[in-house]
Amino acid sequence: MNGLENLLGKCKEYAFDLEFNRAKQWKSEDDKRVLVGYMPIYFPREILHAVGAMGVGIFGGGDRKQIIKGDAYYQSYICHIPRSIIELALDKHMEHLDGFIFPSICDVIRNLSGIFKQLKVGKFVKYMDFPQNFLPEVGGKFYQDEMKHVLKYIKEINGVKLTTENLNHSIELYNKNRKLIEHIYNVRQEFPWRISIEDLYHVIRAGTVIPVEEHNEILEELCAIIDEDIGAPMDKIKVVVSGAFCEQPSIGLIKAIEEAGCYVVDDDYMLGSRMILADIDSKSDNPLEAISNAYINHSQYSSSIYDVHNPKEYRLAKIVKERGADGVIFASASFCDPSLLDAPIFQNAFDELGIRYIAFQYSENINQYKVIKEQVGTFSDSIKLWED
Amino acid sequence: MNDTIYTMGVDVGGSYIKCVLVSYNKEINDHKVLDKQTEKIRKRNPKIVASEIVTDLLKRNNLDYDKDISYLASTGEGEMVERKTGHFYSMTSHSRGGKHFFPDAKTVVDMGGLYVRAIKIDEKGKVMDYKMTGQCASGSGQFIENISRYLGLAIEEVGQMSLKADNPEIPSGICAVLAETDVINLVSKGLSTPNIVKGINLSIAQRVVKLLGALKAESPIALVGGMGMNEGMVQAVEELAEGKKNRDFKFLSSKDAIYSGAIGAALWGGFRYYKLKEKGVTL
Repeated sequence: MNGLENLLGKCKEYAFDLEFNRAKQWKSEDDKRVLVGYMPIYFPREILHAVGAMGVGIFGGGDRKQIIKGDAYYQSYICHIPRSIIELALDKHMEHLDGFIFPSICDVIRNLSGIFKQLKVGKFVKYMDFPQNFLPEVGGKFYQDEMKHVLKYIKEINGVKLTTENLNHSIELYNKNRKLIEHIYNVRQEFPWRISIEDLYHVIRAGTVIPVEEHNEILEELCAIIDEDIGAPMDKIKVVVSGAFCEQPSIGLIKAIEEAGCYVVDDDYMLGSRMILADIDSKSDNPLEAISNAYINHSQYSSSIYDVHNPKEYRLAKIVKERGADGVIFASASFCDPSLLDAPIFQNAFDELGIRYIAFQYSENINQYKVIKEQVGTFSDSIKLWED
Repeated sequence: MNDTIYTMGVDVGGSYIKCVLVSYNKEINDHKVLDKQTEKIRKRNPKIVASEIVTDLLKRNNLDYDKDISYLASTGEGEMVERKTGHFYSMTSHSRGGKHFFPDAKTVVDMGGLYVRAIKIDEKGKVMDYKMTGQCASGSGQFIENISRYLGLAIEEVGQMSLKADNPEIPSGICAVLAETDVINLVSKGLSTPNIVKGINLSIAQRVVKLLGALKAESPIALVGGMGMNEGMVQAVEELAEGKKNRDFKFLSSKDAIYSGAIGAALWGGFRYYKLKEKGVTL
């Protein structure tokens, strides 16, 4: 069991290292290495890896960073994550990062990219639009152009040109990464007591701030451990958590949900690491197109994607069914427009489909969970005791 | 057919940890509380205290956790109970505990160390609605404990002392700090200890009666939780409720009221054990 404890301890340390020390160390080993910070939800890290760069996930300061300056940049009715990201930037936590990518999530993140430009943080700041048109010749083409734009920035810094061979190799590494993460979720679906959601969260979040090769080794080791019959089951309901894809709940909240009587068998906490649902073609002559096709054809739904032909409420319902979940917990960050605007769509559909759910809001820095625990505990009890 | 199982309930509260051992038989719809134990947490680690109580109870009854206990349920601050089968939310547990003491109860009032909660229940003990006090400590058992300490009384003496009152004065019911200052003033004024204690009970009872009104509570009402054992508190609640228009409440209390959460958890544990067994699930 010591092996597991050591592994999880290491991931916990990486996951909440707001100085990004492992990434810093990686960069210091070679002059040509470039670090690129990316915000939620998703960014194709393969393209960075292929040109000697590393993506560093910037998921806010959570409950580990006191916000003083960040509040001056946003009104009180704006979510919390941009404040803590600004605070991290102004306090020089990200000084060693060369550039920043702000994938399109909402207006707040778009404005955050503008603030980064004004503050002249990093050598480049890129607000990256993702296609809302899911035709390969339209949205796919657009997405490839966006990726080329990012590659241009990296080349300006380290002079490394993208090769097909390198990108295919990077794709293979990230395919493996996604497969291993999915394996853990599959194990948890049947045996959720083998690794807690809190520990799993640390493991996946750690993967956003360390080299993918190292993360794959951790995941392989972890998979071997949890494939064994470890831990003791408890009488809990199984739930899917949805809505927490950008601003991350504090670890205390993630833990509180399981403590209150639930096993979380699927979630969208670190959605970016699980965004692509199938292997990306790693033998293609045009790997950028392969990445684009994977996004167009095999990406997870999210509140920042408007795919009218593939309604997200039914996609979530499918996850609930496939995972054998007893219900859904809608956890939205306060003032998160995408999540809160989607909530009634999900809830109306679930009322019709007979899927049980509860909903609450959180902020990344809250550390009082009594009310949420009461809500989750009551939800769990009502299913355990009163459902057939 | 002997299909009796043993279950345990551990209720981790703000001040005390309560543990019970129950025998449960679904076939003949019977259960018995076989043993019980309470420990004040003081400044100890609640995890260690909870573990020690469970071990004590098992040892006293010659039982082995792995072999003999079909379900150990925690309630309250459940994360403090490391070895368990499941957890039930405290409102769910107290409702079932109230039903155990008084099968006819339609409302259960959980009067604990940190808050008071009035819960409307159906005939199976299912929670239908509830109201609870706010965060202020002046409406809690912890407040009574503090005051009893200042007055040099053991917590067990508070109930009987309150019954001796003849002219109580009610301190502030809004804030524990103000109330404590009020009590100091009452002592300085020379008010007798029974009258001070009764005044405090009345102050908390006011909140209880308000909750019952807001909940549109139905009678009979079971008073459970630590304060449910305080005869003076029960009397204070009865007196104040009597004065309310259109209220014909019948209050029920038990000397074991502090165990309602633990008993409820243990009984729900038994219920879950059989439910899971029917589904072919063993934990």
